[in-house]
Amino acid sequence: MSTADHRPAAPATRVVDAGDIEFGDGLEILLSTVFQAAEPGQTIDVATSSRATALELPGWARSTGHHAERDWKEHNGHGQRFVVRVRRGDAVPILAPDLPPRGDPMPLRLGSQFHTTDLVSAAPERIPATARATRGLIPLGAVPEAGGPDYAWRLNSHDELWAEDLTDLTERASSSQWDATADIPWNEALGLPDQVEKAVAQVMTFIASNEYVALYVPAKFLPQVNAAFVDVLMWLASHINDEARHVEVFTKRALIGGERGYALASTQMSLHSLLEEDDFSSASLLLNVLGEGTFIDLLGFISRNAPDAATAACARLAHRDEQRHVHFGISHVRRSQKLDPDSTRQLIAAVEARAAKLSSLTGLSPVLLESLTILASGSVSAAALRQGAAAVKELTGLMETNRIRRLRAAGFDRETSRYLSELHTPNLM
Amino acid sequence: MSDPTLLVGAVAYHERVVPIWEVFREYFNSKGLPVDYVLFSNYERQVEALLSGQIHIGWNTNTAYVRARHAAGGSVRILGMRDVDSDWATLLVTRRGEGFDKVPELAGRRLALGSRDSGHAAILPLYYLDREGLDAAAECRLTRFDTDLGKHGDTGDSELKVLRAVADGEVDAGVVGAPLWASLKNKADPLVAGLEVQWRSEDYYHCNFTALDSLDRAVGDRWGQALLSMDYNDPGLRNAMDLEGVRKWLPGDERGYATLEEAMVQQGYLE
Repeated sequence: MSTADHRPAAPATRVVDAGDIEFGDGLEILLSTVFQAAEPGQTIDVATSSRATALELPGWARSTGHHAERDWKEHNGHGQRFVVRVRRGDAVPILAPDLPPRGDPMPLRLGSQFHTTDLVSAAPERIPATARATRGLIPLGAVPEAGGPDYAWRLNSHDELWAEDLTDLTERASSSQWDATADIPWNEALGLPDQVEKAVAQVMTFIASNEYVALYVPAKFLPQVNAAFVDVLMWLASHINDEARHVEVFTKRALIGGERGYALASTQMSLHSLLEEDDFSSASLLLNVLGEGTFIDLLGFISRNAPDAATAACARLAHRDEQRHVHFGISHVRRSQKLDPDSTRQLIAAVEARAAKLSSLTGLSPVLLESLTILASGSVSAAALRQGAAAVKELTGLMETNRIRRLRAAGFDRETSRYLSELHTPNLM
Repeated sequence: MSDPTLLVGAVAYHERVVPIWEVFREYFNSKGLPVDYVLFSNYERQVEALLSGQIHIGWNTNTAYVRARHAAGGSVRILGMRDVDSDWATLLVTRRGEGFDKVPELAGRRLALGSRDSGHAAILPLYYLDREGLDAAAECRLTRFDTDLGKHGDTGDSELKVLRAVADGEVDAGVVGAPLWASLKNKADPLVAGLEVQWRSEDYYHCNFTALDSLDRAVGDRWGQALLSMDYNDPGLRNAMDLEGVRKWLPGDERGYATLEEAMVQQGYLE
């Protein structure tokens, strides 16, 4: 860099008066904006009232890929100022095309609401049908810079993960959040007779065990989903969040009265076989349609027959969440079969394979049947038990009927639906 | 046929030297110029290895280059340097509001220098201040931070200690390389918040790739050409080039080292 006493004859492309702003206080932002707007090779005179800043400018220029060529002092009416002429370098700061010009704003709904459905449909970039397996964690609409590491996603086909109401379901999940600490009238759970409390603790322990698998299955698939499918990711995350709360609320209800329940081996066997399923659609059929579907009936039964308001509230709130999950499963499985008729065979095979693993299970555990009956009876008097037993019998029938109905809705024919329902685990989930 | 691999020496002043050279080695190999790298813990050992033919090329600081050229009787050539090496400078900083108009006003004051083997933080500051009329070694009370000796100031550690000493009021002024100062200012590091640049030296050259004249001329030319062809806009190279602090490689030449050589002679660094 050469130092002179006066401005050189040739003018710069542009002059920036930085006043007394310093590096570290925003000058670097000002200069970055100016230099990004300039063309490589153009010169910019940076004027400053600070000698120190003028002395720092060549170092800043070099560190940002530009070159300070000369400097001089000028006098104006207010005193002297220092000017450094910098030539813009040719390195692009970001290895990506220029950002496109500003587009239309996103649509809002009444009440200033920005729906996820509208985000996905109006974003300047569509969610791709197939995404590169190496694609990075790039938000919808973002312009990716080259040079990032390669990722290795396993699930790269949107169709294999999607369901028609996906964004609406996610939206509903966000607006239906509840608090397992504060939204349950927990004091209502206290004071039940020993035998009734014991039965409730057993049923709640059973449900909590099952909620674990409903948590782990979507959690297992989420990190395999290509980050391009933000709608699927948001859905799975909401599913996981729901299930974490179910584990919480049913564990709390199981323990609140001081009793404890068994984590039955038959339940563990059933859940383990579900967690082993590696195909997303097959897992959705087994978990969402068959397992959570059957649980909807169980939770409905408990919310109607619980001996206390706290237990009823736990079941009612979880029931609301499970309906979304079942809705997703039915919609997803139906669509999978429509897109690929061969998938029907694969889905049936998945149910058969799981049933084969669970051939030693012959029915709902007697411990659980007994507990459910006492829970529904509210006491161990003969009259109450008769009524409770009838209600449980009715529940079993309802589960079977509704399971077949859901399988039909998911696109299976009548005969196959009956067959798959019969193969479903006696453990319910 | 003898192994055509060129051995390039570099000093391991930081862990990042390995990822840099893994990428650079791959790059030269892809250009049909087999390269391997050899790491040294200090520049003196690297210069010895260059002079004795154990390595073909040394990635040298300016001080190491001058030492090698001196020892080789001038029979060395420069194959390239970074853009940042072509206009390096030393800054003199004080606490804000405690500046001076002319360098000689520092006489009698306390001045901090970086490692004594650093061209930019010790040797050249004394030289350039002398040219401004201040014999700092005689007229100032010097505090030297001789850390990481052998690495010629590459780690920046001694310069950070200089800045800390100025900020804490232990000295009145200190010297620091312009690139380190720019990086601290750009990130608004609290260390420099109360400090101010008072003087900037002339520009001088810093690091370069040094080879002995005995290296086959055509081989050296091809290697230098490949170096200069590295493209900062190549996603495969950008990270390594950022780590090395280079956006563009330049041919380099002897001119920018004249002042350092003079300074090293004056200050007794060259026998």
